[in-house]
Amino acid sequence: MEELTSILTEIRAGQDYAGADNFFKEGLLDSLDMTALVASLESRYNVFLDVDEIVPENLCSLKAIKTLLVRKGVSL
Amino acid sequence: MDAIKENRVEPDARQVLLVGDTTLDPLARLLERNPSQPKLQCTAAPYGQVFQILLDASHSVWSSNPELMVVWTAANLSLPSFAKLLHFEFESASVEFDEALREAEQLADAIVRASSRVGLVLVPTWILPTYERWIQTLAWRHRIGVANFLAKANLMLAEKFAGQKNIVLLDASYWQASLARSAFDLRMFAVAKILYSHNLFEKAATEMRSVIRGSLGLTKKVVVCDLDNTLWGGVVGDDGPQNIKLGAPDPLGECFQAFQSALKGLRSRGILLTICSKNDEKLALSVIEEHPAMILRKGDFVGWRINWKDKAENLIALAEELNLGLDSFVFLDDSPQERDQVRQLLSQVYVPDLPASPSEYAPFLASLDCFETPNLGKEDFERTEMYRAERERKETLDVSGDVENWLGSLQIKVSVAPLRRESLPRAAQLLNKTNQFNLTLRRLDEKSFWDWAEDPANSIYTFNVSDRFGDFGLVGLSSISVTGPDAQITDFVMSCRVMGKKVEEALLGYTVEQAKASGAAHIIAPPVDGPRNGPAKDFFAGKFADADGASIDPSRVSIPPHISLKEEI
Repeated sequence: MEELTSILTEIRAGQDYAGADNFFKEGLLDSLDMTALVASLESRYNVFLDVDEIVPENLCSLKAIKTLLVRKGVSL
Repeated sequence: MDAIKENRVEPDARQVLLVGDTTLDPLARLLERNPSQPKLQCTAAPYGQVFQILLDASHSVWSSNPELMVVWTAANLSLPSFAKLLHFEFESASVEFDEALREAEQLADAIVRASSRVGLVLVPTWILPTYERWIQTLAWRHRIGVANFLAKANLMLAEKFAGQKNIVLLDASYWQASLARSAFDLRMFAVAKILYSHNLFEKAATEMRSVIRGSLGLTKKVVVCDLDNTLWGGVVGDDGPQNIKLGAPDPLGECFQAFQSALKGLRSRGILLTICSKNDEKLALSVIEEHPAMILRKGDFVGWRINWKDKAENLIALAEELNLGLDSFVFLDDSPQERDQVRQLLSQVYVPDLPASPSEYAPFLASLDCFETPNLGKEDFERTEMYRAERERKETLDVSGDVENWLGSLQIKVSVAPLRRESLPRAAQLLNKTNQFNLTLRRLDEKSFWDWAEDPANSIYTFNVSDRFGDFGLVGLSSISVTGPDAQITDFVMSCRVMGKKVEEALLGYTVEQAKASGAAHIIAPPVDGPRNGPAKDFFAGKFADADGASIDPSRVSIPPHISLKEEI
């Protein structure tokens, strides 16, 4: 989780990612940040997200990202 | 894309307009989110309106009054005939090829037209869409192949832009080649019309920021090198000159030699090289002059401090000797302790971490993006020579002792001319790079500076200075703006290269004469406070009619007798 938080902080600093339920609805991140997040997750965890996986539901909270990564075979 | 549109205005940020046929917002983010200077505020225009935006000055995107513009298009999106060529949708390949080239020319013309509205335009070249498969046997075929077309079209861009000093063609194929991952991201193209991968945008943002910094004169001017284990392998004082590692056949020696070649390349384009080393000066200089494998010799360095003193102290002394601010220095030393000390004591100095392996030194130096220059002029090639002549001049001073006699013996000649097209690049460089002897710190790009001079109320004078030791080149400029009985000295800039020779007296003397000749009864020169322009303010303080004013007292201004001034009209 700490690693995820540091990836998110690099994209946009000074946000309470752990305390948020939905980064996009709560205004912590916007859709352009989402594209940067995809690039960071792919290079850090060596995974490939397909077009239908690049949706806010998969990337909107620490829990959602963790679920996505576990589904892609990453052990966190 | 539902990106947050933030209509904030940051007064001290430079406005950048991004125009493209795909979504460039990620690039805008990367250009903006960088703590280093200059601060950029980017507007990504709606994608796919390239021609409309370039040709229509009243398009809403121009309302941000951008100072810089990036025009990044994909050939297969902006040139319909190229897309047909790519997919073999044609009756005659050569007809389609020629048509695509015509479309490319139209786009180039539109960019040239729009370039008059901004100070600087960055145009990435067209790159091969590597996500498309094309027939390799055809790729380079004359008037058929796509690779052949892109090469030709990019050359055409270079030719069209050759006469436009404010358009820089950026080599996007180099960005693409430098990426291990793909340059394109078709998922993001599907999701958000973002064609390029995050990695390519990161590379592009870094390169663009570097070009922008260069165009604003925010680049480094001096490299300070250590000697032992930096310019050669080993410690000369312990190992002896015969046993240091430098040159073939020793592999490590070859690495140090390659590093010296890279430094020599910097020196050739106007970056000053200096030495700061804890060593015996006589021994170290004998290695530099006599070791057969040395690439850099004494004449390649404009100054050195080879002694046992603290390096920070030596750097301050070098900065004083060269009359340059420490913020224009880069410090290269293999010792992490020395680097740390300089970093802590002199935060203005850029101290990159040299890689642990000497084999990485040369590529590391090449990768530093702090030496970007927008234009290379005569002065850049001859800078080291000029500083060397300065060293000889000072040695004459040490011998003759008396300053007035010494000044007289220099035979200083100043030649003054109005600003001309040929002198514009150097004059703008001087205006934008000079921090110390600069009264008003006005910064303008070449075009704006020229436009200002075109106003009949304004005049700009350039000053070339030489003496018996050599030619300093164009090292001074002044400008006046006349309104009724008042003349204002808008710029008064002199390179630190000629400080201490009373050249500024001659420059001001001539400028005041011109102001008087224009009928002005009252000449003002209001100084602007900057962090380092004390020398200019101090000089003018002695010329004002009263202590707190900005009015020049002409009786305090004259051209010194040791300087001969000639007008070139």
